[in-house]
Amino acid sequence: MRVAKFLLYELVLRGALFAALGTAALSALYLASIGAPPESYAETGRSFLLMLSGSPDFSAEHPGFSAGRIIASGAAVTLPLALASIIMLALVAFMGAALSTTADHLASEYGARAQSRLLIPLKLAACALAAIPLFVSFWALGKDYGNQAPFPLIAAATVLTGGLGWDATRFLVSDMRRQAESTNAMVFSTLGMPLGRLLPLPGTLSGYLLASSVPRFLPYLAGKVPAIIGGVTIAEIVFSFPGLGSALMDALLERNADLLVASVFMLLCLNAIVAFIVKTVLFLVYPRWYEKAV
Amino acid sequence: MKKLSSALVPACVLALASPLLLAWLPSGGEGGFLGSSLASLPPAYVASLVASFRQLAITLVATAAFAASIAVVLGYLCIFSPAVGRIVSSVLEAIESVPAILIALFCYAPVSGYLARHAEASSATVSLIVFILAATATTLPEAVRGLTIPLGELYYRKYSLSFRSYGFRKSRILRILMKTRTMRGAVSRSVAGILLKTLVLDTSFGFIIQLGFGSYGTPAHLSPGALIAANRDALFPGGDPVLFWLPAMAIAAISLGLVLALGERKESAE
Repeated sequence: MRVAKFLLYELVLRGALFAALGTAALSALYLASIGAPPESYAETGRSFLLMLSGSPDFSAEHPGFSAGRIIASGAAVTLPLALASIIMLALVAFMGAALSTTADHLASEYGARAQSRLLIPLKLAACALAAIPLFVSFWALGKDYGNQAPFPLIAAATVLTGGLGWDATRFLVSDMRRQAESTNAMVFSTLGMPLGRLLPLPGTLSGYLLASSVPRFLPYLAGKVPAIIGGVTIAEIVFSFPGLGSALMDALLERNADLLVASVFMLLCLNAIVAFIVKTVLFLVYPRWYEKAV
Repeated sequence: MKKLSSALVPACVLALASPLLLAWLPSGGEGGFLGSSLASLPPAYVASLVASFRQLAITLVATAAFAASIAVVLGYLCIFSPAVGRIVSSVLEAIESVPAILIALFCYAPVSGYLARHAEASSATVSLIVFILAATATTLPEAVRGLTIPLGELYYRKYSLSFRSYGFRKSRILRILMKTRTMRGAVSRSVAGILLKTLVLDTSFGFIIQLGFGSYGTPAHLSPGALIAANRDALFPGGDPVLFWLPAMAIAAISLGLVLALGERKESAE
């Protein structure tokens, strides 16, 4: 019953229904702003239904793309880039939080401030990277790689520049610091377990703190999915990848309502899919926290 | 040490945000202070640089004022009437689930045709209004949340009972709470967040529009992002990389200033 409720809420309501309504709202906004005649709204709605049904009649007036091709471009470019970015974001936050909390522990328990001092330039570098706009880092990357830039490198640029990684690390560090003050964490730290300075692995102090913070970090991560999809869209446009971002720009440039509806719907669907994956992890691992977050 | 840091941070923030102020110097144009400092660069480029940072400053100030006022009103309403609060929260949550760049593109790109057909002065105003509306829509969810959570905490947990025992009305209690140090901090944090998000949106949007639409795009909305995009080939052999990196570094400096302000305020809030 709980699983059915979860699927109904996350997959149907917040996934499919939200993507459909969001597409309808954005398309209506677009048609209104270009002063389209009333019959265009009905025509665009019909076209949207044809796309959903996978009909070959979809966008017959604009040959050169089909519903299948748009879905394939989303699946081949946008989705992997978004998933790679979110995994990278989690890894960066985990490493930053492990480094920071273990440095705090060493400084407060043993008076050893070497790690804290080492972290100062690292923090400054993270701040400076966060301030670099995404499109600048993408274009600088594109200068060397052209449109052959590897996905992991683009994902790293998406996370490290533009502030996503900085914000996620700050969120996790402040939560793990609060956990470190709890009695349980203090008792755990007396057991002589490894600190886990670089990665918060299970059985380490940072891993123990992370386990308490993850239920709050996962909803945070789910909330960052639209920002990641936005970053990926910019990357696709800058690197001229045949993904949804480029399709969207082409649609706006050519005033092709069919292509526009299809690419927006796919972007919102991918947004929902990535958020659904993160929330599924939360639901499976911490069901009570999921219910609290909802 | 703490006092030193609290004195240094505002100075650093001011220094980093200086490109926005320098653009407004009376001698900022061609042949002036900036013109002579950047004498090695083409005069037309220097003029565009100054104009784009002036436009950015106007956009940031106007968006921050507009979005922060709406955020304060909505935050106040959410606590004043929980039913309204639930509706506002659902609407904002839905807006937040759509990537910000998508909202900006949808609000703005179709209007570019209209802008191109009208006089420069009127289209510049329309352009600014459309962008401010789009930026406000994308920054509101976080700003309202940033105000409602501390205000709700103050109202429901800390002071409400004691105020009510004095016979104060709900509206008066909220007015008093809005003047507390906690709420003043929350408002300034929200403003810093709005500024940072608007800066990112404005420059990314300008870059993408210039990249995708070129001269057909947004003639009335100058943005340092668009200037960077217009000079993007300067990074390749034969180009002058300064044309690309100068506005890019200025944007990075302003962002860094806002990141520092936000980080400092978050730390003092914790």
